[in-house]
Amino acid sequence: MLRLRNSRVQEKLIAWSGLVVLLIFVFFPSFYLFSFVIRLWPSVYIEVFAHPILGDVYWKEMLRYLSLSLRLSLVTVVIDLLLGVPLAYLLVKRRFEFEGFLEDLTMLPLVIPTSGFGFATMLAWTASYSLPTLFGIRIGLDTVVPVIKIPLLMLIVHVALTFPYVVKTVSGALRDLKASYEVISSSLGAHPLTTFRKVTLPLILPSMFSGAVLALARSLGETGATMIVAGVSTTAPIAIVRWEFENKVAPAAFLGALLVALSLIIIVPTEYLLTPGKKGRRLLPKGLEARLIRLERSTPRSFALLRDTASLAFLMVIVVLPMLMLIYNSALYWASDPYTGRREGSILYQLFGPPRYWDVIMRALTTSLITATLSTLLSVYISILALFLIMRYNIGRFIRVLLKIPLVIPTSALGLSMILLWGPKGLHILNPGLWLIVLTHVVFSVPVIVETSVASYMEANLPIYEDTARSLGATFYDVMETITLPMIKRGIVAGSLLAFTHSLGETGATFIVMGDHTTIAPLIVNMVESLAIPSAIFSSLILIVLSFIMLAIMRKIVG
Amino acid sequence: MMPNIKIIDVHKRFGDVVALNGVTLDVRDGEYVCIIGPSGSGKSTLLKIIAGILKPDKGEIYFDDSLVNDIPIDKRGIGLVMQDILLFPHLNVWENITYSPLVRGLSPLLVDELGNEVIGYLDLALDKRMYPDELSRGAQQKVAIARALTAGPKILLLDEPLGSLDAQTAKEFRYELRRLVKDLKLTAIHITHNQEEAMSIADKVVVLRKGRIEQVGTPLELYTSPKTPFVCRFIGGEANFFEGSIESREGLNAIIKLKGGTLLRTQTDIPSGARVVVALRPEDISLTRRNNASFPGFNSLEGIIEEVHFLGPYLRYVVDTEEGLVIVRAKRSARFMKGEEVTLSFNVFHIFPYPKEGLRKAIAYE
Repeated sequence: MLRLRNSRVQEKLIAWSGLVVLLIFVFFPSFYLFSFVIRLWPSVYIEVFAHPILGDVYWKEMLRYLSLSLRLSLVTVVIDLLLGVPLAYLLVKRRFEFEGFLEDLTMLPLVIPTSGFGFATMLAWTASYSLPTLFGIRIGLDTVVPVIKIPLLMLIVHVALTFPYVVKTVSGALRDLKASYEVISSSLGAHPLTTFRKVTLPLILPSMFSGAVLALARSLGETGATMIVAGVSTTAPIAIVRWEFENKVAPAAFLGALLVALSLIIIVPTEYLLTPGKKGRRLLPKGLEARLIRLERSTPRSFALLRDTASLAFLMVIVVLPMLMLIYNSALYWASDPYTGRREGSILYQLFGPPRYWDVIMRALTTSLITATLSTLLSVYISILALFLIMRYNIGRFIRVLLKIPLVIPTSALGLSMILLWGPKGLHILNPGLWLIVLTHVVFSVPVIVETSVASYMEANLPIYEDTARSLGATFYDVMETITLPMIKRGIVAGSLLAFTHSLGETGATFIVMGDHTTIAPLIVNMVESLAIPSAIFSSLILIVLSFIMLAIMRKIVG
Repeated sequence: MMPNIKIIDVHKRFGDVVALNGVTLDVRDGEYVCIIGPSGSGKSTLLKIIAGILKPDKGEIYFDDSLVNDIPIDKRGIGLVMQDILLFPHLNVWENITYSPLVRGLSPLLVDELGNEVIGYLDLALDKRMYPDELSRGAQQKVAIARALTAGPKILLLDEPLGSLDAQTAKEFRYELRRLVKDLKLTAIHITHNQEEAMSIADKVVVLRKGRIEQVGTPLELYTSPKTPFVCRFIGGEANFFEGSIESREGLNAIIKLKGGTLLRTQTDIPSGARVVVALRPEDISLTRRNNASFPGFNSLEGIIEEVHFLGPYLRYVVDTEEGLVIVRAKRSARFMKGEEVTLSFNVFHIFPYPKEGLRKAIAYE
C-alpha cells in the first residue's frame, strides 16, 4: 500500500515539475513579447504611433513589411501545394531505386542551415553562369515578380524551405490511406485523374491543410535565408532583427508581438478544427461534374509520366541545383578569384591567409556544436517530463496544441523575446552569449522532440503495455524505465537529431541572442554582408555536408 | 454471354518469396468458384492478378479467350469486393453506389436508373443519405457489393468478402451472395480461408498451398477423395493422421500396418512395402464401450477417453490409443466419460503415399 502511495506521489511530482519546466523554458519565452508590449504600452504607443518627430512612420513601415511577409507566405503556400502534392504522390506511389535518396533530398531543406541554403540558392540563380543566364535571363536580388510584387529570389527560397512540410504531411497521409480505395475506384471504371479528385484528394485534404499551415507559419517567420537574398526588400522578421540591432526595442517588440499573434491566429483554430475530414459536401454542380469527368476521361494516361517528370525537375532545380552550384563554386574559388584571378579572392587565402577565416569558422562551428548539444540534451530532459504530462493527464491535449506554437513563432521574434526576458533588458539573468543561445534553442527543440515522441508513443500503443506492466506489479518508475522509455526511444532519438540539426542551422533568433559567441549560421550571413564570398561558400558547404551526415544517421536509426 | 476465365501457368514472386508457382486454372461461365488455402498460400495474389492489380511475372490470363494481361483494371469489366469493405468514407450510400456510372461519364438519368435498379436487387432498406460509418458491417458490405454491381461487371472478384462480418451475419450472407451471383448470371471467384464457407456455396473449390494448386473439384469430391494429406486436413477441419506401411497386397486388397502395430484392411494400388499415410476423419470413427468379449481385429483401435468437449450438435473426444491420440466426433446420444475404455472402429479412410517432405510438413498450414 505504501508502495502504491509512493508511486502516486512520484507521479504527481513528475507531472508538476513537467508543467513548471515547460512554463519556464518554453511557454514564458513564447508569450513574453505580449506581456512586454502590454506592460510598456504607453511608451510603445508613443514610439510606434505618435513619435514626436517621426509620427507613425514605424507603424507605416510595419504595415509594409507585414504586407510583404503575408503576400510572400500566401503565394509560397500556393506554390508549395501545387508542387508538393504531386511530389508526395511520386514518393509514395512509385517504386524505384534511390527512393530513399530522393526522400532525403526532399527533406533536406528541413534540416539544412537556412543561411547556407539561402546563399546556395542565391549563387544558383544570380551568378553569371547560373541557369537563368543560360537562357539569357538575368535575375538579381532586385528582380520582382510582377502583379504580386514579391522579390523572385525570396519566393524561390521560401518555397524551397517550406515545401517539405507539405510533402511530409501529404506523403504521410497517402501512406496511411489505404491504397485499396484507389484500386476500388479504378475497378469501378474511374480514370486515374477522377480517382484522385473524387477519392484521394478529399481523404488527404486535412493533411494538406495542416502541411500548408505549417508552411505558412514557417514562411512568415523565416529569417536566415531571407536575410541573404533580401537585397533592399524587408520582411517583418528581418525588420525585427534590424530594429533590435539599432536598439529600437519598442517597435521591434511590437512587430514581434504582431507576428506571434498572426501565427497563433493561423495555427490554433486549425489544430482544433482539423478532425479527419469525412462527410464531404457536393462542391460541384452536377453539370460541371459531368463535364470534368469527360475532360478527365479524355486525358491520356501518360499525364502521370509528365507529372512525375515535372516533380523531379522541380526538386532538381530548387534543391539539388543550389547544392551543386555550391560545390562548383568551391572548386572555382579554391585557389583564386575566377574573375580577377587574384589570389586574395580565393578560399584558401581567406581561410589560411591573413584574414584567418579558418579560425573564425572553426570557432563558430565549435560554438554551434556545443550549443546544439547542450540545448538538445536539455530539451530531451524537458521533453520526457512533458511527454508524461501529455500522455497521462487531461490537459495533455491542450499542452500538445500549445507546443505547436513555438514551432511557428518567427525566430527573430523569439530571439527578441528571449533577450527581453532573460537578458540585460529584462530579468538580467543571462547576457547574450552561449547560454542564452542554448535557452533559445530549447524553446523550439522541445516541441520537435515531444511531437516525434508522442507519435511513436501512439504508434506503439503504449498505454496497453503500461497497464499490463502495472497489473504485473510494476511501480510507476519501473514502468517508465522498463516499458515507456525503451519503446519510444526511436521517437526521442529522431526528434533529438532533428532538434540538433535545427539548432545547428538556426539563424534568426541566434542572431539576436548570440552576443560575441557567433555560431556558424549567422556567421554566413555576416560573411555575405561583408562580401567575404569565398568564406561563405566554404562555410555553407561545411554546413550542408554536416546536415547530410545527420540525415544519413537519422535514416540509419529511424529506418 | 458470360465470360470464362483461363489462367495459364501464372508465376509471381515478391523478392525472395514465391507467392504463385505455376498456377493453371479454368473457370467456366457462370461458375461460383471458391479459392481456399491457409494464409500465405497465394490466394489473394492470384485474385489481384486476375483483377489486374498485380502483374504476373510469367503466365497468361484470358477472359473469354482474349488475353487481358495488359488491360488495366478499369477496363477489365470486373467487380471487386474486399474484406476491408472500403466504402469511400466521405461519400454517402447513394454516392458510393452510383460512383461507377458517374465516373464512367454516363448521363445523370442513367446513373439514377442504375443505382435504383441495384438497390432493388439487393433489397437495401437503407437511408441512402447515410454515411458508411453509420452502417453496420453487414450493411456496409451489402452497399460495397451494390457499388461493384453498378459497374456492370461480368466477373465478380471477392476477396474474403465475409471476413470482417460477425460469424452469424457472415453465415446468412454467404447464401445470399451465391443467390445474387446466380440470379445475375455472373461468374464469381471468391477467396476465403474458411473451408466451411467455401464448401457450402461453391460450385468448384480450388485448394491453394504454397503458391500451387493442390486440388480442384466440387466440394463433395474434395471431401470424399482428397488427393493429398493436406487437402484431407484442410477440407473438413480436423483429421487424424497415422504413419504405416503396406504389409501385403492382393489385387486392390491390401493390409496396412500402422506404427503402433494396428492392422488395417483396405483397398489401394500402392505397392506392397511402401510407406503410407493414413488419414481418418473424426466423424468417420464410431465409438463403443469396450467389453471383454471384443476381439482386437482389423480396423479397430482400443483406447481410453482422455478429454471430452461438448460442441453442441456433437461431442468431441480425444482418445489415447496405441497409435497416439485420436480425435473422434460422435453424436450426443451415446456419451462416454473421461477415463472410460472404448473401442474405435472405422471403415472409410484415405491412404496416401508417404510424402517426401515428411508427414508433419505435408499437413502444416504454414
